[in-house]
Amino acid sequence: MRTKTVTSRKKTVASAAALVAALALTLTACGGGSDDSTKPIADVSAQPKTQAATVLDTPFKKPNLVLKDTKGESYDFREATKGKPTLIYFGYTNCPDVCPTTISNIAIARKSLPKADQDKLQVVFVTTDPERDTSAELGKWLASAGDPSFVGLTGDFPTIQAGARQLGIGIDAPKKEKDGTVVSMHGAQVIAFSPKTDGGYVLYGEDASSDDYAKDLPKLIKGETP
Amino acid sequence: MNRRAPLALAAGLTAALALAGCSSASSASSSSSDSSANPSANAPQLKVSGGYMPRPVGDLAAGFLVVTNSGGAADKLTSVTSDISDDITIHSTENQKMRKVKSFDIPADGELNLARGGNHIMFMGLKQQPEQGQKVGIELHFEKADPIKVELPVKEINYNPAQR
Repeated sequence: MRTKTVTSRKKTVASAAALVAALALTLTACGGGSDDSTKPIADVSAQPKTQAATVLDTPFKKPNLVLKDTKGESYDFREATKGKPTLIYFGYTNCPDVCPTTISNIAIARKSLPKADQDKLQVVFVTTDPERDTSAELGKWLASAGDPSFVGLTGDFPTIQAGARQLGIGIDAPKKEKDGTVVSMHGAQVIAFSPKTDGGYVLYGEDASSDDYAKDLPKLIKGETP
Repeated sequence: MNRRAPLALAAGLTAALALAGCSSASSASSSSSDSSANPSANAPQLKVSGGYMPRPVGDLAAGFLVVTNSGGAADKLTSVTSDISDDITIHSTENQKMRKVKSFDIPADGELNLARGGNHIMFMGLKQQPEQGQKVGIELHFEKADPIKVELPVKEINYNPAQR
C-alpha cells in the first residue's frame, strides 16, 4: 500500500489471475480428449466441491458508488457500508433465473443468522438496467425475491458500470434488439466486504447455494476468512 | 455456470449432467445401425421430464425441463404456449446475458436440457401469480414431433435440482 502504482498493479495481477483461472475452468468444461489433461483438471478436482467462496489475495477497494436507493434517496455505498459486513451484487429485475435466485439464496441464509447479525449485514443490489429498474420497481422486487431490508440502487448507467468495473465486474449497457427485446446482463459474482478492512475479499459465483452462504455468513459478519 | 460442468464431472454426478455439458452428435451412432429395421429410429421420440417453474418474482417467470429424444432423428423446440402468459419465449444464456432464440436443437438420441444458469423458457406478463406448490400447464411445440403438454410444478425461488 506504499504507492498507488503498486496497489493498482497488484490488483491487475490478481484479477488477471482470476480471469486465467476462469478461462481454465471454461476450457476444461468440455475439454474431453486431447492434450489439456495435465493442469486445469487437477486444479479443479483439488478444490472441495462445497467451497463456494473464492478468497482474494488482494481485496478490492470499495467502489465509489453514489446512487439512488429504493426510496429515491441518495445512497453513498462507501459511507453507508463503512465498517459493516456487506454483500454487493449487480443484476436486474427482468431477469427470471439467476438474479432472483442469488438474492433469494442470500435472504434465506441471512435468516439463519442471530437477529443482531442480520441487522449488521448489508445486502446491496445494484441494477444493471436502470432505465427499467426504477427505485420503486427495485423495492418491490427485492421485497419479493429477497428481503425488504436489502438495499436496491439505481441511477446513471455509466456510474453503475464504473462501479462494477472497480470490482472487476464487466457490465454492458442493456441493448435493444431489432425485435424490441432488451438484452441486459447481470454480474458474475457476489462480492463480500469485510467490516474490519472494508476490502472486498471474498467472491461467490452464481452456483453458490443458500447453504453455502449460510455456512459462510457468520464468518463474513466478523470479517473472517470463510 | 462455466464452473458447473467441471465440478459436476469431478464429483461424478449423473451421466445426464455430463451429457448436458458436453453432449454432441457422436452418441447418435448407437442406433443408426438398425435404423432400416426400425422406422421409429428415423423420427424423433420425445419425452419431457424434470420440469419446474421457480416461484415468479413480479410478472415474469422462468421454466426449466429436459426433453429427451430416443429417436434416430433430431428435432427442435420451436415454441411454448400456456394459459398463464401470451408472451412466452425461449432464451439462451451466455456470459451473464440472456437472449431470445428461435429454436433449441434436440439431437437424435440426445437431450435438450433447460437448466438453471443456462437455457430456459421465459414467461412475460403473467396473467396470474402462481404460488409454490401449484402447477402451471404448458404446451411444447416442436419442428417435427407432435406438441407435448407438461405441468410445471411451482417451486421455491432458488430451487435447483442440480444442487440437491
